[in-house]
Amino acid sequence: MALKFNRNKHNSKIILDGERWERRLQKELMSLVREPPPGVVVDSDQGENLSLWTINMTGAEGTLYEGEHFTLQFKFSPKYPFDSPEVTFIGPNIPVHPHVYSNGHICLSILTDDWSPALSVQTVCLSIVSMLSSCKEKKRPPDNSFYVKTCNKNPKKTKWWYHDDTV
Amino acid sequence: MFECNICLDTAKDAVVSMCGHLFCWPCLHQWLETRPMKQLCPVCKAAISKDKVIPLYGRGSKQQEDPRNKVPPRPAGQRTEPENTGFPGFGFGDGGFHMSFGIGAFPFGFITSTFNGGHEQRPHIFQDRGVVNPEDEVLSKLFLYVAITIFLWLLIA
Ligand SMILES: [Zn+2]
Ligand SMILES: [Zn+2]
Repeated sequence: MALKFNRNKHNSKIILDGERWERRLQKELMSLVREPPPGVVVDSDQGENLSLWTINMTGAEGTLYEGEHFTLQFKFSPKYPFDSPEVTFIGPNIPVHPHVYSNGHICLSILTDDWSPALSVQTVCLSIVSMLSSCKEKKRPPDNSFYVKTCNKNPKKTKWWYHDDTV
Repeated sequence: MFECNICLDTAKDAVVSMCGHLFCWPCLHQWLETRPMKQLCPVCKAAISKDKVIPLYGRGSKQQEDPRNKVPPRPAGQRTEPENTGFPGFGFGDGGFHMSFGIGAFPFGFITSTFNGGHEQRPHIFQDRGVVNPEDEVLSKLFLYVAITIFLWLLIA
């Protein structure tokens, strides 16, 4: 309690907001733990201030990723949910997919231009699950090696061109 | 049921958009400020603006303070008179009402796929749907007032 009070003093303009958005993240976490999308496993312990989550994902049965395990990282800025979360695949197994770069960056419009504060971790997970599930051929994006060498660490800094979304 | 679509809490100083989506006014206001050039409903992506949301007032419960005095102020409720006075567009603020009707009914996906050839939904399509650009609206109102002024001046002169 004392800690919270101190932090608020620094930034009096977002006192209410800060608590509000932390509450929203807490709510999201609860509902995600309670009713995760298929193949998604979330640990209810996501660190102290909830600004960094790791989510485990298993490739759905009957898809090219069946049985594979992936880890997604969500990074939330203080402006969440007005600002989209930074979402990347991390860990040893990055799915081989035409919209996923080998450094874990994901080309998905709801993560930048089409983000809306009515979206949530849950809906983002669902989009990623369906993006993987509808894949017909496992391959990297055509510009993978160039992109990985030149991109910013933060995928949100990339000006994505949402190419062929038939996959 | 009456949870804000942004903070996921019970809506506070609630407003509802023309497309029927509920928000706290402070939450929606912040979203409109975030992307001032692209004001879309967070839920359904219909065009949305400060003038086109309706505040909801529950019965009596806690009316100690007028929510509109808070910052940011919540837009006031609009009343359209039951009978048409025969001079449309004269009253302040009723232009918003007339123009906002045709918005909800268009099928999204149809236009999207036609214009983008299978790309993901891009927001620019909303400009093709007859949604009024806020700047145009201001401009057309300005012209209207100038016209009215000249008209009155002619009458007096
Ligand atoms: Zn709210
Ligand atoms: Zn809506």
